[in-house]
Amino acid sequence: MIRAVNLSRHFGRIEAVKNIDFHIRKGEIIGFLGPNGAGKSTTMNMITGYLAPSAGRISIDGIDIVDSPEDAKKLIGYMPEHPPLYLDLTVDEYLNFVTEFKKVPKSRRKAGLETIRDLVKIDDVRKRLIKNLSKGYRQRVGLAQALVGNPPLLILDEPTVGLDPKQIIEIRELIRDLGKEHTVVLSSHILPEIQATCHRILIIDKGRIVASDSPENLSGRLSGAFGAARQKLLIKGDAYAVRAALEKIPALGSLSAGKGPEDGLSEAVITAADEGDIREDVFRALAAADLPILQMGPMDLSLEEIFLNLTTDEEEA
Amino acid sequence: MLAIFKKELKTYFLTLTGWIFLAVFLLVSGILFSTQLVFPGNSQYTMFLTGLLFIYVFVIPLLTMRIFTDEKRFGTDQLLLTGPSNLWGIVLGKFLAALAVFLITIAVTFIYPVLLSFHGKLDWPMIIGSYFGFILLGAAFIAIGVFISQVSEGVVSAAVLTLCAIVITFIIDFMQQYMPTTELSGLVWAVILIAIPLSWLYTSGKNWAVTAAVALVLAAVLLFTWFFGRSLFIGLIGKSMGWLSLSRRFGSFSIGILSLDAILYYLSFSGFFLFLTVQSLEKRRWS
Repeated sequence: MIRAVNLSRHFGRIEAVKNIDFHIRKGEIIGFLGPNGAGKSTTMNMITGYLAPSAGRISIDGIDIVDSPEDAKKLIGYMPEHPPLYLDLTVDEYLNFVTEFKKVPKSRRKAGLETIRDLVKIDDVRKRLIKNLSKGYRQRVGLAQALVGNPPLLILDEPTVGLDPKQIIEIRELIRDLGKEHTVVLSSHILPEIQATCHRILIIDKGRIVASDSPENLSGRLSGAFGAARQKLLIKGDAYAVRAALEKIPALGSLSAGKGPEDGLSEAVITAADEGDIREDVFRALAAADLPILQMGPMDLSLEEIFLNLTTDEEEA
Repeated sequence: MLAIFKKELKTYFLTLTGWIFLAVFLLVSGILFSTQLVFPGNSQYTMFLTGLLFIYVFVIPLLTMRIFTDEKRFGTDQLLLTGPSNLWGIVLGKFLAALAVFLITIAVTFIYPVLLSFHGKLDWPMIIGSYFGFILLGAAFIAIGVFISQVSEGVVSAAVLTLCAIVITFIIDFMQQYMPTTELSGLVWAVILIAIPLSWLYTSGKNWAVTAAVALVLAAVLLFTWFFGRSLFIGLIGKSMGWLSLSRRFGSFSIGILSLDAILYYLSFSGFFLFLTVQSLEKRRWS
């Protein structure tokens, strides 16, 4: 559906996207994952023809977006990071304009809009001015706009940003539904967000693709590296005593211990040298030293750590 | 194009912009009409229209300042530029919508000559001709405004720049006579005039070979003219500034002459600025 070859984009001297290649098949739900400023939006803007690539080519269903933009753009529904809404229009006026602008045949306009309104659940605000809508409704009208004309490819830039948890779940379900009939590309800087909906994740960092895999494989790779081998502990006792006790573990890789959140408690982060399960050793060592473990659990990986992990992996490979 | 035209026209009258334009235009023209024609018992309607030209300085920026600046501000240009429409469709739709608001307003002022005709004999062909010129001139100013709103970042700067541009076209006739008229000054000016499209050619294509070839051809033409038709350079600055004097060509309309070259001049002037707008939109995609 989308084929990008050697895609680059620079703004002045800043290289936002560096020489990336990807291929997205029909019917896939793909997630672009990356921190802010990684090049996700730039890439999406290039796919949709809003920005021209500095180098490389993109084709949508075999049609080059730079050579024949009008044909290629007909296949795409795009929701940018900030929904492109005309605040002075009502929802109905706005969607009618978009329908006409996207050259949807007259006979299909009414039925098409009805389906979309039902799908994104904006039927109860259709007569209201867009400027009076809440963030969640605006997001949905933005999504409705992308669905106009039933394009086979949907590009959604951070579709759930700024929504409350209930709305996020609704939008996720909607995206999964849409994925049955459309190819969907969405972006996020939140891992669980993408894990929940996508078949495949492309991780983008500093303008490059650092990983491309299914969510299961990706989280497997990540927890394989760190899962049971890295534990965060909350212990009742003095930090020096904790350190002394834990240092006796033979399989110890690294250890850091310090004062805890309350008086008399200490915190420690511990990893195993051979990436094995170290939990039992920790229990025995601390039990022997009479230091009660209050909490023990795998250390949550922040997105930064995932990137760090992936980028260093790539360099070693 | 039609979708954009309809939406823009609707927005003019959903927001205050269209109404303010209508109100200011009719208020100012109404005051002038009363004080210049009705009270003194004067029926020189074309004189009145000529006197009314200065109103463009204030009302055209009002009409055009939001055309592209608001699209950029609210990110709606992403919808327009990623839709299946070409850039000309977008620019023309917006230009024609602004022109339509202008025409609606002008249509209302047509009451004035009708009122006058009850009390005296009017030269209708001359009035119609003046209106025709008035509208063409307005279209040219709107095209300038559309272009400026595309290149400026904010609504206020678009309004101020458009105002300045229109003032300049009015005073350029006056400035013209103070420009140097020597052959050398004409040559320097010609070089500057040639350098502008060349730099555009280079930035849009990034192709040194083509740019250099065009530059060489133009330089040869310049040299040839310098040696064999030097008198062409005399007063060149003044002459080329005269091309920008929009209001001067209005003169022929106000004496009832529909001169073809004035009509073509206004149409090509508007077309040129709309072309620049399209180029600027295209360039934004690349830079």
